[in-house]
Amino acid sequence: MEISLFDAAAQGLMNLMQFKVLFALLVGVSIGTFTAVAPQGIGMPLVYAMLLPVVIKWEPLTGIALLIGASSVSAICAAYLPVLFGIPGGGGSQATVLDGYPMGKRGEARRALGASFMAGGMGCLIGTLTLVLAIPAARPLIYLMGSPELFVVMLWGLSMVAVLSGRRPVKGLIAAAFGLLLATVGQQAQSGVMRFVFDQPYLLDGISISIIALALFGIPSALDLALTRLGVEQQPAPLKGSLFDGVKDSLREWWLVVRCSFVGVWVGIVPGLGSQVVDWLAYGHAAQTCKGARESFGKGDVRGVIAPESANDAKDGGDLITTLLLGFPQGVVTALFIVALLAWGFLPGPEMVKKNPELIYSIVWIQGIAGIIGTLVGFVLSGQLAKLAELRYTFMVPILFLFILMGAFSVNRDPVDLFVVVSFGILGYFMRRFGYPRPAMILGLVLGDLMEKYLYRSMMAYGFSWLLRPAVVVLLVLAMASFVLTLRGRLKGGEGGGVSLGRRDGGS
Amino acid sequence: MGLLGDRLFKVALALGALWICLFPTLVFSQAPFYQGKTITIIHGRDPGGTGDMRVRALLPFLQKYIPGNPTIVNEYMPGGGSRKAANHIYQSARPDGLTIGNVSAGMVSLAVLGESGILYDLDKFFYLGSPYSAYHAVFISRKEAGLSSIDKLRAASGIRIGAQSVGFSTYNEGRLFAYLLGLKEPKFIAAYSGAELDPALMRGEVDARATGADTVVQRNRDWLEKGLVDFHAIMETPKGDKHPQFPQLPEIESFARSDRDRKLVILQRAFRVTGAPFILPPGTPKERVEILQEGFRKTYRDPEFYREYKKLTGDEPSPLLPEAHEKAIREIPREPEVIEIFKKLVGAGPLPPR
Repeated sequence: MEISLFDAAAQGLMNLMQFKVLFALLVGVSIGTFTAVAPQGIGMPLVYAMLLPVVIKWEPLTGIALLIGASSVSAICAAYLPVLFGIPGGGGSQATVLDGYPMGKRGEARRALGASFMAGGMGCLIGTLTLVLAIPAARPLIYLMGSPELFVVMLWGLSMVAVLSGRRPVKGLIAAAFGLLLATVGQQAQSGVMRFVFDQPYLLDGISISIIALALFGIPSALDLALTRLGVEQQPAPLKGSLFDGVKDSLREWWLVVRCSFVGVWVGIVPGLGSQVVDWLAYGHAAQTCKGARESFGKGDVRGVIAPESANDAKDGGDLITTLLLGFPQGVVTALFIVALLAWGFLPGPEMVKKNPELIYSIVWIQGIAGIIGTLVGFVLSGQLAKLAELRYTFMVPILFLFILMGAFSVNRDPVDLFVVVSFGILGYFMRRFGYPRPAMILGLVLGDLMEKYLYRSMMAYGFSWLLRPAVVVLLVLAMASFVLTLRGRLKGGEGGGVSLGRRDGGS
Repeated sequence: MGLLGDRLFKVALALGALWICLFPTLVFSQAPFYQGKTITIIHGRDPGGTGDMRVRALLPFLQKYIPGNPTIVNEYMPGGGSRKAANHIYQSARPDGLTIGNVSAGMVSLAVLGESGILYDLDKFFYLGSPYSAYHAVFISRKEAGLSSIDKLRAASGIRIGAQSVGFSTYNEGRLFAYLLGLKEPKFIAAYSGAELDPALMRGEVDARATGADTVVQRNRDWLEKGLVDFHAIMETPKGDKHPQFPQLPEIESFARSDRDRKLVILQRAFRVTGAPFILPPGTPKERVEILQEGFRKTYRDPEFYREYKKLTGDEPSPLLPEAHEKAIREIPREPEVIEIFKKLVGAGPLPPR
């Protein structure tokens, strides 16, 4: 029986009132904070890849609390590296360095961090509220979205490959095609045919996506951290000034926060954009619209911190709109989140809105609560967190390797998984080195199986006439328009995030 | 001498009595083998689903009824439709009575049909029964398709029948219904998940499907109340076990025209009746097999177990006792010609000619 959305929202909140769920949320917040503050190399994709094998064996809500808690907070606390070290933060906080670091050097590091936390918290709440408002709008989609429509939505998601590849579309296509190929390993659902199994029981169900993700993002990152020895040579800016000056700045610039938050939500919803561009778009918007920006931006203007940070945090709400309500991921982190949901038996998309609305609201609540906790953590522990940023790579690298191998083994307790994780890790290292975008491969892997099923079912049920269904036509037009616009914007924008993805794959 | 002998005899008797009082288990019997031991149940599935709950409902009773009250722990080894777990139990698990497998019915059908990746011999396992064995599959079509009778079903061409993946029991049953009801060029659309199939039926993406009678009653009550679907036929497992909600539906075997048709139904029933088998590896000592079989037997007969099972799974248990389980496995039809035609019937190609 379907329940009203209000009841679902109330139930979603009530479901969180369990010690283990709240504890998992706090652990997630801690992991997210650590990830954001510790030296580069630990991005959210890596954290998700490492957590996935563990949490898919938990109860869904506990696992979701951990994952969403981590990703939600990592954006809020991402300003430490740009402000204190002048290192562009993880995806979404790269633009913060332009004004954050000059502020830090000028003795206003605390003010910059305060502005960042406050703007981030406000952005997170705006993104979450937008998600809440989008849920009722998504309900009628349930009756419109059959296999043909879902196939087009998946195609729309896969079109992201072109964007993820930046200026190397051919390499992106190769990586995505390899992901699609890997998705075919195992028994084909519609025919029962074993593909690429070679009579090996290990391959009957295909290769675990969580192991591949762990390998592709974990091992190259750990190697990179060891080889570049980040966190050793940089001298931090002094942690001076007042956090509350930054809070006042954000509150005074509330309209900028609102505008940039909606830029973030929009980036989250439109396929192909992501955390690699959200901060730059918001920064660009602020630079064009703020009074006196031409003179002050780039020299330590607090508005240059507020704009990217609010947009970056609001983007998560937009990401979840497409992930939960339409069922296609916006990047690696949401792709891995979908992998987790599938492992728990939930099929993200219109079906989930109908069958598990309380779970969707639980996710919304977790997102909101984590945002608030993250903001508070930022304020209360700013001094201690700044010390974390100086953590040495010699400590991080062994820990990372240990968790990667343990994580891989914990999936099935099959020693073959260790061989697989190391093999794909080596592949990931070379992909990174030669500029083949790993997110494109993960995307192909996650979407490949679903796309194949939806296309097969569409053809079997309707023949080619499914292409003329009104909802399919509308979705195809939308997909093509957003693809062309995004690609054009990307090419006009020069290097942009495509390069950063190719090298660092930091997008969410 | 007589007095001394008498005294000695009394002393010996007293010492004997004291020995018996102090160490009764050493005198009268050995401690039960399972006392202080841990039994591991290896599931051929992920944790958390209905299959897991079925096993969990059994655990406190098994612990109670296996002499020595062993600790029982769960391990999960999903993969290949229970092939991976069954292979492990057969090849790698120590046959010491401390490792029990619990696998899906697919473990039986995959072996009988000779599918790939099978490294075990079905007849060499020891069987401990299954908490359920009864199942009622019904063939339904959506009302809007206008297929309200079997005659209309037969008259229509190219009916789209939705199903889960090839190899799933509901896929096999959908094909069997279509075959025996004599549908004209039915189109099978597989690769739906369980959650996707009912909305696809209601949306008109598929016209018909086979599903569990209990599933309809428990999860799709509105179909019954609003008359959203037409019910056409039922497959009863075990044969003759009427479903209380659908006693009037014709049983699928009544549509069989030949002995071969009947054997196909018997084969599908045999796969269903084995439920979710508990198995022991070949070579397990006979006395330990018997202890465990008795433990399972007592569990399946305990009314409290019925309540616990219903509480955890929402279903009524229909246990298959160990001896009945072994018999069911033994009696599965294995004639090559029946297997051959059955494989065609449940494959992905067109239905074989009748």
